[in-house]
Amino acid sequence: MISIVQLLILAGIVVSAFFVLRFKDLLASVISLAIMSLLLSIEFYILQAPDVAIAEAAVGAGLSTAIYVIAIKNSSRWEA
Amino acid sequence: MGEENNRMIFMMIAAGLGALILICLIRAVLGPTAPDRLVAMDTTNTLVVAVLVVLGAAWNEIIYVDVAIVYAMLSFVSTLYISKYLEAAQ
Repeated sequence: MISIVQLLILAGIVVSAFFVLRFKDLLASVISLAIMSLLLSIEFYILQAPDVAIAEAAVGAGLSTAIYVIAIKNSSRWEA
Repeated sequence: MGEENNRMIFMMIAAGLGALILICLIRAVLGPTAPDRLVAMDTTNTLVVAVLVVLGAAWNEIIYVDVAIVYAMLSFVSTLYISKYLEAAQ
């Protein structure tokens, strides 16, 4: 039964990672990256590593999204 | 017997929530504007917290709920940052 959940989560990781690269709007890319990192956090949790899941949630959801948004704010939002 | 049944039910609930996460992902991919994608991400965050709590109940581990608490706090921060950017961009 857990393999069905895992299959859904892994499919979501692949789709969102593909769209991180494909979007021309960098803000949409950052949102897609945040979705990918939170799905990766669930995947670590399903593999029974809650400490890694906490670290991934802290870095992926909190820090890296905020830093990327600050970088976009100080440069251009659209890919040339 | 009852323990195994409970675990099965929690796993089925988690699979249903995983399907809802994929539907939110479709909205995030197709969404024409940035606020659509932001709302899809925020909904996904809430669903992820629900999945973490349900799986923690399925495995009967109290310590796993702490991950959900940390996640619920941090997902708020990232949503707040992106929406402050969108507000400044207008």
